[in-house]
Amino acid sequence: MKITSTRFGEFDIDESKIIAVPEGILGFDDRRFTLITPEKHAPFCWFQSIDEPALAFVVVDARETFPSYTVALTSEESGRLMLGDGAEIVVLLVVTLAPEPAKITVNLQGPIVMNPHRMLAKQIVLEGSKYSSRHPLLPQVAGEVNASHVAG
Amino acid sequence: MLVLTRKMGETITIGDHIRIKVVEMKGNQVRIGIEAPGDMRIYREEIYLKVQKENQLAASWSLTDLDNAVNFIGCEKE
Repeated sequence: MKITSTRFGEFDIDESKIIAVPEGILGFDDRRFTLITPEKHAPFCWFQSIDEPALAFVVVDARETFPSYTVALTSEESGRLMLGDGAEIVVLLVVTLAPEPAKITVNLQGPIVMNPHRMLAKQIVLEGSKYSSRHPLLPQVAGEVNASHVAG
Repeated sequence: MLVLTRKMGETITIGDHIRIKVVEMKGNQVRIGIEAPGDMRIYREEIYLKVQKENQLAASWSLTDLDNAVNFIGCEKE
């Protein structure tokens, strides 16, 4: 199907690439997204709304950029994501870009957790001061980035 | 909104599994104890609003900023 994006123009995606976000991303009404992983923009990916061309988030795969980062899901969250025991998840961190690269931050407090098999995702809010919603990205990425991507 | 008055040490029960108790009152602060099933998420509303606000900031980015970031990371690696 054809998707229109304000930033990237028009492109085709297979319907199997649509990610349902039944509870939405906090502050937005959109419920359908797709993950775009352009090689030239690695390690950044785009979490693009299917229905709103102007809405896209820049995200990074937590496993690549913050290998020690973990999210413990509640049983309710696992249920909503239809995760069985030991099911694989992909954790996406929302990036807040800035004109100055050193000021780019990543939101460790509100990760988007995705079940890649069911193409279901949910933004989780983590309580406590362990993780910041404005964690500097670059010191982390400069050392660890490589050419690999999030699996689609 | 349901509004209930409680004294120090008194509790409110929600459903079968959630109990909320006033454990301390000091000036304009109230400390509240919450008993709930182990893996239920409970958080201060500010944190929820903070993530929401950060989402809104994150959504207003430009391709120029993204290109800058990618270039910057490329330079750091070399």
